Amino acid sequence: MGCAEALRVQAYFDAEVDAVSAADIERHVEHCAECRALLQDLEQTRTAIRRDLTPGRAPPELHARIRRALDQEPAVNTSRPDRWGRTTWRTRPFWLGALGGIGSAALAATLGFLVLSPSMTNPLLDDLLAAHVRSLMPSHLVDVVSTDQHTVKPWFAGHTDVSPVVADFGQQGYRLIGGRADYLDHQRSAVVVYQHGAHVINVFSWSAGRGSLPGNATRSGYHLAFWKAGDLEYCAVSDTGWDELLGLVRLLRDLSSRDGRE
Amino acid sequence: MDDKRGRFEAEVLPHLDAAYRFARWLSHSPGDADDVVQEAMLRAFRGFDALRGSDAKGWLLAIVRNCHATALKQQQRRAFVPLPEEHDPRDGYAMIATTPDPESASIRGDDARSLERLMSALPEEQREVLVLREIEDLDYRAIATVTNVPIGTVMSRLARARAALKARWLRQAEGELRGVR
Repeated sequence: MGCAEALRVQAYFDAEVDAVSAADIERHVEHCAECRALLQDLEQTRTAIRRDLTPGRAPPELHARIRRALDQEPAVNTSRPDRWGRTTWRTRPFWLGALGGIGSAALAATLGFLVLSPSMTNPLLDDLLAAHVRSLMPSHLVDVVSTDQHTVKPWFAGHTDVSPVVADFGQQGYRLIGGRADYLDHQRSAVVVYQHGAHVINVFSWSAGRGSLPGNATRSGYHLAFWKAGDLEYCAVSDTGWDELLGLVRLLRDLSSRDGRE
Repeated sequence: MDDKRGRFEAEVLPHLDAAYRFARWLSHSPGDADDVVQEAMLRAFRGFDALRGSDAKGWLLAIVRNCHATALKQQQRRAFVPLPEEHDPRDGYAMIATTPDPESASIRGDDARSLERLMSALPEEQREVLVLREIEDLDYRAIATVTNVPIGTVMSRLARARAALKARWLRQAEGELRGVR
């Protein structure tokens, strides 16, 4: 498996490439004996697996067992300890609607891995993460482009239900690039967008008061830092390092306490 | 809420066989697989609202995988002899990969000659991507979702799994031909 194209050839075999790449790979394979052999191997392996491994079926007793267990399930989602001794991974059903409200079909496909991973955590984390990743896609990052807090802050007043602290920390390395409205926990939350080096940091904020905030967490390579200031809850999300992320959190908390919000 | 049950039966329950197959590949033991699948189905039902028209099969298999991991952790905590997974005697991997002379110890007899045996001998992270791709016919994205790794990792694991299976296969064939050569 020395040829640098081996993974692309495999992707071609698995029908994971578009027509243009496929044509490109086919041309390569014509000239590369190694990749021709690889294609043959892949084909043989697949044929053997699909021919020899008879597809197993769930036994009828298991069908029956599962139906009985489903009959026992309460009609409404509730949080209760499951058999493995922890609470079910959905403990805050009211977050459920949040994602559906904002995702188009194409986005759902892109975000699938975030939305779907049954991470056994607070779904708030998943929602924030999904919103962060969504924001990184073309033309989703900011609704109001401005490096001026006096533009961004009033914009929130008209477009969201909250009024978070906003400031440009360009001198400290956190450049304000704008604001955005997002839908979280059935309210229009405000998102202040910062740039730190090559990284985007989304600072979400929403009205506090629904139980305790999750602890700081890392999911799929993104860090999420939570804090509360005044009557708002905040979460900063980014793929930057923890130190960098917490640096911005510190600046924002200082700003909140200076504003007399804390 | 009958509606929820109805939709669940229409969208998720048809993937019960896939869930069961996957659990079997992960667990090695039918009894464990049954428990894992039942637990996964219950969790899927409780979290069904989050599915929202996405790929039900991949979603369910991801839950199966999580339940398997949880069950495994609990078993290891309870176990009298908590051996690392690679050395699980049921696995067969240890027999093949860690004996000084792989050829003499390699797969003999009818049972051991089966492809299933060869696949069971793969490391779990390779086996699961291979099963998801070739048996469950999931695409890279879905496999990445289920196994919770980036697509690039799926691709490299898949390549390693296929190469390893091929190599073991050849080794076995050579073993059979040893007398002839």
